[in-house]
Amino acid sequence: MLTRITGGEIVDPVNGRIGQGDLWIEDETIVAAPVDGRADRTIDASGCVVMAGAIDIHSHIGGGNVNTARLLLPEHHAAHAPRPANTPLSNAGWSTFETGCLYAKMGFTTVVEPAMSPGSALHTHLELADIPIIDKATLAILGNDDFLLSMIRDNASPQMIEDYVAWTVGSSRALGVKVINAGAAAAFKENVRTFSFDDVVPFYGVSSRRIVKTLQAAVTSLGVPHPLHVHCNNLGASGAAETAAETIAAAEGVPMHLAHLQFYSYGTEGKRKFSSEAARLAELVNSTPEITIDIGQVMFGQTVTISSDVLRQFSARGSANPKKTVIFDGDGNGGGVVPYRYGKDFYGSLQWAIGLELFLLINDPWRVFFTTDHPNGAPFTAYPDLFALLMSRDARKEAAAGVSQKALSFSTLGSIEREYTFEEIAIMTRAAPAKLLGLKDRGHLGAGALADVAVYRKGEDIAQMFRSAAFVFKNGDLVVRNGEIENYRWGKALRLNPPPDKAMVRRLDAYHQERYGLSLDWFDFPDSAIQREQPFGEVSCNT
Amino acid sequence: MTVAWIGDRDVPITQAIERIAELLVSSLCPVFSLDTDVHGTRAAIALAERVGAAYDRLGGDGVARETALLTDRGGFFVAPGEARRRADVIVIAGQLPAAHHALVTEIAATPPDLAGEAPKPRQVFLVGAETQAAYLRKAKTMRLACAGADLNGTLAALRAQCAGRAVTKPVSDFARFAQAMAEARFAVFLFCGEMLDAPGLEMLQGLIGDLNRKSRASALHLPASEAGWGSSLASTWMTGFPLRTGFGRGQPEFDPWRYDVSRMIEEGEADLHLCIAASGDQIASSRKNLPLVAITPTDRPIAGAAVTLAAGQPGVSHDAVVYSSRVGTLVSKTAERRADDLPDAASLLRSIARQLPGGKALPC
Ligand SMILES: [Zn+2]
Repeated sequence: MLTRITGGEIVDPVNGRIGQGDLWIEDETIVAAPVDGRADRTIDASGCVVMAGAIDIHSHIGGGNVNTARLLLPEHHAAHAPRPANTPLSNAGWSTFETGCLYAKMGFTTVVEPAMSPGSALHTHLELADIPIIDKATLAILGNDDFLLSMIRDNASPQMIEDYVAWTVGSSRALGVKVINAGAAAAFKENVRTFSFDDVVPFYGVSSRRIVKTLQAAVTSLGVPHPLHVHCNNLGASGAAETAAETIAAAEGVPMHLAHLQFYSYGTEGKRKFSSEAARLAELVNSTPEITIDIGQVMFGQTVTISSDVLRQFSARGSANPKKTVIFDGDGNGGGVVPYRYGKDFYGSLQWAIGLELFLLINDPWRVFFTTDHPNGAPFTAYPDLFALLMSRDARKEAAAGVSQKALSFSTLGSIEREYTFEEIAIMTRAAPAKLLGLKDRGHLGAGALADVAVYRKGEDIAQMFRSAAFVFKNGDLVVRNGEIENYRWGKALRLNPPPDKAMVRRLDAYHQERYGLSLDWFDFPDSAIQREQPFGEVSCNT
Repeated sequence: MTVAWIGDRDVPITQAIERIAELLVSSLCPVFSLDTDVHGTRAAIALAERVGAAYDRLGGDGVARETALLTDRGGFFVAPGEARRRADVIVIAGQLPAAHHALVTEIAATPPDLAGEAPKPRQVFLVGAETQAAYLRKAKTMRLACAGADLNGTLAALRAQCAGRAVTKPVSDFARFAQAMAEARFAVFLFCGEMLDAPGLEMLQGLIGDLNRKSRASALHLPASEAGWGSSLASTWMTGFPLRTGFGRGQPEFDPWRYDVSRMIEEGEADLHLCIAASGDQIASSRKNLPLVAITPTDRPIAGAAVTLAAGQPGVSHDAVVYSSRVGTLVSKTAERRADDLPDAASLLRSIARQLPGGKALPC
């Protein structure tokens, strides 16, 4: 089947194609214009922008902690209306089915769940398999697990650590590795209540810094395309900018990704001892080329924070709104669920402004990623409004007038004139994420790319344009038309598949037998357990 | 081998499936009782949406109480692996179902390996006068009870005394408990919604919350039903809501009273009962004149059922995904034997859906 998307404004920075033209799709793939030029289907994209499908690198869309949050807050996601005939369960609020539909309507075709506990990988992948339309991927969490901390304490060889990381990534079907407040969850189990980069985990005698450096080295050496994804210590604390700066300095020329930098860009000025350090951190990111970051933008309203940073969530219990929380001491990180409402008070307003400062002051769209840390800063459904704030300084001025002016006086936001262009948006939300994750088949519109395409009707209202795509293709299937889902298809979970080292498997089996009284089989599963055709798609490691 | 019956009569399976589809179409208020693995649950929920059914765990009161702890309050929870490796004090809050005895025995008998340099044997406390733990043959247990008080009363007194408040009837051996809590590196409270009601669960979490002000403690959830908890997890990601959700108005609505399937049957609201059970004996005879569809491992029709379909047993005759209290998450269970070749509940439910008007396949 040959499809021609005609008359649209193509925005494909990877291939240097910017301007009006046609895009051709044959089955699942983007192709060069055929010689005879006859299409089976023609899509009129005049007045539209045509981009590759968007890729979200950090959105908590499924797994144990997300499901616990659903369970904790049934009153927050009542379903709205009877479902449309073709899309089962798509109106079920905050369900996996709704998640896939809402992302697709915004032109997103690949989403990464960034915090999979390796021990509950099966649960996570079952949830992801019930998210229709889009492709998914996961990052496996390491860095608070006894096996790794013991190896570091005992000065295990880098090879042995790599074998363990490779086994974890392979058996949990992950696309990369994330470390979340390295060592803090283990320390919290020993009743430690604050934990910084050079603090040492009791019992193991290993510092947070050493855990991060060890994992960074292993990930790099294994050729995992995505750099180590780091959630720093002291999230949300006033003065956390110092921790972020220390962590950036510790990259030492080797790639490292810092998650949701907004939540660390806090200084200690003013009588509330809470101020913006966004300008300083943006400058630091600009001058440190091995660093990539995502924002974790705050938008106003009710949300729920879901984090495997159990120590931080424990500390935040007092701010829960409504007043109910879950604190989970898991095998490695565990996690916590704390519902929260971002108001336009001093703190909420400053957090909102800080996120925008980071977006606008970090110069290179290849190194700053578009996230709200869904749902921690805001649900992903706030993305269209955020695009509008980035692309229009008038929209920003208008929004800024409605927030705490006292808070804005601690930020540089009012003085920033920059507006993101469509090309920069296409880099930040398509080209750069594909590159960062090692997904060579997407993020651009060149011949041979997967036909993941988003077509947006241009208009005055930027948010509306991104909220409701005119057309979306996933693997060449037309899945969205005029902002409505046409039909379900089932995407894949993208994963790496490094071969397991036999000696490491024996070692892990002995460890699980001895420490848990269970064979290693309990912690693994066959692909067939997912009960979808081809639930996984393999991505290769760098050689 | 016969695998389908209409009433007491053997029929081809296609005929039985058509009959079930007819019953579902003509029903105004169908209810589903689930006792199946995650995939059986997924298919049942997808079918429930198609026919406007409400669904619940078969005999779901215990699971409903555990669910209510989460929907109403939350709390502190710990993974079973961490409990085993870290808990130097174990407190068993009320009677635990037999299904968990082997695991608790094992935990009690193993020294924690992450509880400091020279870990001592675990101390085990039993809360409540009625709490029996004969299965813990080798472990030395100490009982915490209040004269004349039930389990909830004892938990309330324990919490009050821990907070330094005066109580009229003190808990037996409280001094030992207080000392154990003061010295504990990580105390773990074992609980189950089968024996502990909502105020008891709440009181227990209140006590654990108090302890966490100064030290570490958490609760190990040993579900009233592992299959039920697995179904609850799947329901939560598929619809946003746990069990006791209904599709009567098209969209899923969660209401633990309204969609309590036993209540709906007893009070005459339900007009069709579809029951998916891991064993035929668990299918209690329905209310008189309420048509019953039974999907269960059986070689004969279920007494009183309008239609019976023989299904395989999850994890025994076909591969399954189930919740396991040993790891505190979903695990893949490989079939022990495949000899009987019976279909799993999920594929039977998908076949039923294809016989509904429109014939569209279920999304899972
Ligand atoms: Zn996050």
